[in-house]
Amino acid sequence: MSARRLLRWTAIAVVVVAAALAAFVSARLLSGKTGGPVQVVKASPDAVARGKYLAEAADCAACHTAPGGASYAGGLGMASGFGTIYATNITPDPDNGIGRWTSDDFWQALHDGVRRDGRQLYPAMPYTSYRGMTRADSDAIYAYLMQLRPMKVANRITELEFPYNIRLGMLGWNLLFLTDDLPATSTGSSAAWQRGRYLVDVLGHCGECHTPRGPLGEMELSRSLKGFALGRVAAPDITPAGLAARGWAPASLGTYLSRGIAGPNSAFADMHRVVVLSTRNLTADDIAAMTTYLLGDKPPAPAAETVGEGNQAGRTSYVALCAGCHGLDGKGIPNTIVGLRNNSTLRLADPRNLIVATLDGIGPQNFPHRMSLPGMPGFADKLTDEQAAALVNYLRAAWGGQKPDVRPSNVQALR
Amino acid sequence: MSLPMRKVTLTVNGKRHDPLDVPEGMMMIDVLHEMLGLTGSRLGCGIGICHACVVIWDKDDKTSEEVQTCITGVEFFDGKRIRTIEGIAETNDRGEVTLSPVQQAFLDKFSFQCGYCTPGFVNAATVLLERLKRSPVAKAEVEATVAAALEAHICRCTGYVRYYQAVRDVILATPGLTRDSA
Repeated sequence: MSARRLLRWTAIAVVVVAAALAAFVSARLLSGKTGGPVQVVKASPDAVARGKYLAEAADCAACHTAPGGASYAGGLGMASGFGTIYATNITPDPDNGIGRWTSDDFWQALHDGVRRDGRQLYPAMPYTSYRGMTRADSDAIYAYLMQLRPMKVANRITELEFPYNIRLGMLGWNLLFLTDDLPATSTGSSAAWQRGRYLVDVLGHCGECHTPRGPLGEMELSRSLKGFALGRVAAPDITPAGLAARGWAPASLGTYLSRGIAGPNSAFADMHRVVVLSTRNLTADDIAAMTTYLLGDKPPAPAAETVGEGNQAGRTSYVALCAGCHGLDGKGIPNTIVGLRNNSTLRLADPRNLIVATLDGIGPQNFPHRMSLPGMPGFADKLTDEQAAALVNYLRAAWGGQKPDVRPSNVQALR
Repeated sequence: MSLPMRKVTLTVNGKRHDPLDVPEGMMMIDVLHEMLGLTGSRLGCGIGICHACVVIWDKDDKTSEEVQTCITGVEFFDGKRIRTIEGIAETNDRGEVTLSPVQQAFLDKFSFQCGYCTPGFVNAATVLLERLKRSPVAKAEVEATVAAALEAHICRCTGYVRYYQAVRDVILATPGLTRDSA
């Protein structure tokens, strides 16, 4: 039996178990609400401002805003191994958004993964992380969202394959995988560490991308924050050991989270959105709290910079195609072109992100504090698999301290 | 300080340079300007964005593409054939120059003002016309095809419209580049 069929049968088994469970909890399911009065929320300006800050810390906009769409009006599609799930409209529109939701309904969605109508959410909505949120913070975010301008933007229908399209199946999934406490990924006890744990694991829901996922899409909590590739670009290992091995220290990590650019590193792909929509808005204290939790109360010493000898063929390609901007010495151009020397992406053991950046390039990006980086062209049409592998191996060995073990087939797989 | 030297073979506008001793890592635009005396390619941004410096890389499979010479080292062109802006117009035995249809159209339509970006636009449009000769597009798609082909090229004076119109008109007036329907 193929892995895919096994997975499908496992999922069907989960659905059957869930259906049996449903018989017991049907009373609750039937209590699902659809109509009801439009809610009017009275909250002080301070409370709304607090809710806005928390909504940014929780990065609701990252998914609930479509590219070019109205803020929080939904529409971003999230591709998964099971199909595409669309984020919903969470403006207070009575028909398309959460205009009829009470703060209890909102809390139920964040804490239990249950919609107002009683049906199950899919864990693309990270209630698996938000479950740790305090009721007060949930109410503040609710108060903020409810005073946004209602947007009449219809929700897109989620497209999942059988049996994953049976929402009831999530009852079984939740029974297996929904937990009150996510394991700490670093050691600490300070107030900053506690606050950082809440910001990273609950509000920031970092693990939803950075923690590896198992066959049914669950976070493998025994390997929390050790890195995972849900799509083309991998979310790297952000445990203390993983970060320190790539040279990260509290100061540089804090700069990265608040500005998106730190030393030779710049946020790209999904993480760029995280910085721009979420972490840039956090106070200095909260940024410090996040770095304290990510690296621990006693941060490991960051790995020293390394310079090695790369292969000659790769160097020839580097000189021909890369050095014009990144420099023969790999130091880049200040405020314009990132350096490659000891760049975090070169120091990742997994070569995927370096290969993808080489093939696709990276589009132009704006950053906080009026910084911007011009686009990098992709080189997929100028490099054969062999040449690209040699180039990536050169970069890994010369400035990443990594083994030059990338094969042409690794490049081919990512074209 | 002495720079390590490399020997490369270049074919530029049909003329073979074999071998050419070049400093390692020298950008192609500097080789064109300083060593080959071809100063028509323009250095703009220097980081591969504005496309004023592009040359045409003619591949062995008869296709061609633009390459930014400001960020591409001469090593990349070793053994390759390229055309620069100096190789677009035709010059006969008597030294009389005939502009290409694209060049003529840019003049006729007043497509540019300062002209700094023009070599890049000429090369981009030339690559596009040659591509359409191999695989024509429907007349209805010409506008979008031109926009896509010239999109990367930056012009700071004239707002692109007359460049795009000129290329569109050349395509529509040249037999074999378009189809009547999709």
